[in-house]
Amino acid sequence: MKNNRFFFWSLAGPGSVFLVLFLILPLISIIVFSFWRTESYQLYADWNLDNYRVLATNASYATFLIRSLVMATVVSAVSLVFAWPAAFFITRYGGQFKIILLLLTSTPFLTGEILRVTAMQQILGPIGLINMALGSFGFDPIAFIMYTNTSTAIGLVYLWLPFMVLAIHLSLLNFDFELLQVAKVNGARPLRAFWEITWPLNRAGSAIGVVLVFIPTLASSIPSKFMGGPNGSLFGNILANQFGSTGTWALGSAMGVVLFLVSMLVLFLVWKSIGDPKRSGITIKGGG
Amino acid sequence: MSNIVLTLENVSKYFGAITAADNINIDVGQTEFFALLGPSGSGKTTMLRMIAGLEIPDKGRIVIGGKDVTNLPPYLRGIGMVFQDFLLFPHKTVAENIIFPLKMQKSSEAEKRENLKWVINLVHLEGLEGRYPHQLSGGQKQRVALARGLVSRPSLLLLDEPLANLDRELRKEMEVEIRRFQLELGIPFVYVTHNQEEALTMSDRMAIMRDGKMEQVGKKFSLYHRPTSRFVASFLGSPNMFKGRVSAIDGAVATLDWNGHAIKANVHHGLKLGDDAVCYIKSEKIHLQSGKGAMSGNIRDVIFKGQYADFLVVLENMQEITASDSHREQMVEGAQVHVTWEPENADAFPVED
Repeated sequence: MKNNRFFFWSLAGPGSVFLVLFLILPLISIIVFSFWRTESYQLYADWNLDNYRVLATNASYATFLIRSLVMATVVSAVSLVFAWPAAFFITRYGGQFKIILLLLTSTPFLTGEILRVTAMQQILGPIGLINMALGSFGFDPIAFIMYTNTSTAIGLVYLWLPFMVLAIHLSLLNFDFELLQVAKVNGARPLRAFWEITWPLNRAGSAIGVVLVFIPTLASSIPSKFMGGPNGSLFGNILANQFGSTGTWALGSAMGVVLFLVSMLVLFLVWKSIGDPKRSGITIKGGG
Repeated sequence: MSNIVLTLENVSKYFGAITAADNINIDVGQTEFFALLGPSGSGKTTMLRMIAGLEIPDKGRIVIGGKDVTNLPPYLRGIGMVFQDFLLFPHKTVAENIIFPLKMQKSSEAEKRENLKWVINLVHLEGLEGRYPHQLSGGQKQRVALARGLVSRPSLLLLDEPLANLDRELRKEMEVEIRRFQLELGIPFVYVTHNQEEALTMSDRMAIMRDGKMEQVGKKFSLYHRPTSRFVASFLGSPNMFKGRVSAIDGAVATLDWNGHAIKANVHHGLKLGDDAVCYIKSEKIHLQSGKGAMSGNIRDVIFKGQYADFLVVLENMQEITASDSHREQMVEGAQVHVTWEPENADAFPVED
């Protein structure tokens, strides 16, 4: 028994210490700060609900939050649509190249986030590849991809797509493709077979992918800052401002708490949507 | 044969250098239980997959119900299939699994209800409609898989080693049941197995495959009692094998010299005087009697099986044979016995066949 306990702590210990130090403690400090007050770049520990009152009454914060939620929903949905064929292809036909193909999806991360976003501008912007090419043939530039929410969305999909591909791929590794043959022999056309069998049995993979895309998008600020244009600010940009130029850390902390709660809610909803794992594909072949 | 439902015409299939099907011809009639029997890797599953449309033959034609389906995808063939590992949909209930083919055919709700009820009664799954596959036993999963194959009353049911994952007792029970379903429905079943007991129990006719080739096709009795291929003679039952030289030929009967014993056997594949031959005779066709005779020896071992026993007899020419016969108390280890058999039950083939 003693040995078992040692085994347990040697596995769970390092991660727990790390989480307490760098996640739980900062989180607690943010919660604490959110009930404080900032004045002239100074934090004052007089407990109040003022920051939350501001967030609740000033409509612009709600607007930014809704914009971020819409953005995260759109980006997750688009990523899902793009990632599925890629992940399916890698899993089904990747053969000996499966691992290489999967590692290659990480290529966007080989450079920094800002560099990647800047590179996207070179494609989408007014003097970018697409619009310059259109212009040289005498066409009007495509306005909706230049410094708009659409271009932010494109940038975000580009950033987070690999996570979605990875999540779906890992789910498909656990999927018995023979079930598709069964469906076809029983009269299902390929798309119908996907909808009846592949999709429901990999719901968990899609859900985890959505979480991995949705939550970072909700908090993101860099793509919208560089690609979003004048009306492209998201909740993350406004939050970043509180810790930067305006120096209103307490308000920023309150925004962080709101973001945290919304993310938790999303996690909860996704978890609920997965349902019984025995029927959603998680434990068909693996343990448990 | 009345009313042919399935025809394979000169069907061949290659996987790289491997020939999985070599010029196969089969006809299966309306009320037939047809077994495809062969060792693993003989190409029998490939045959079934070609009939289902999961593989496309490289040569030849497949006709189902008078319609050429050679290049038709599986979902347009309208046949039922039962798979080896059951392959139930884990996220669907028993009822949802079973009515899946009807759902794909866009059948009416009334038809789904009616067929579900009928097939649930047929395979005895009453009360389990709402369960999920992971809540079922192996035998129950097998019944669901069968029900899914039968629910749309297909013109043809394919079964790919459906009993391979069940324990012996359950398998025996299912063999009888599957045959009952087939008789009740009056549709052809094409049944792939490597287990000859299953094939012999259930089928009307069978085909024995080896290396992508059809060794022999016919009624199960004629395959068992009158093999025309060396492989079939050696594969079915538990035959004894002798090697000898042909010392005389009289029409269709050859006399072999087997280490000093003369044995008579049916001639196959142009066996000639002076050829080296292999001869097969099934152990239950060898009669065992006490005392001395033309071919005598001593019992080396008795393997008692209840209804009968396997007697391992060492003959005077030092060759050992196995005779399956009813067990008698005087037949003990060391007892002197002699063996006889009807010449028509022995089959001789050229060695290099």
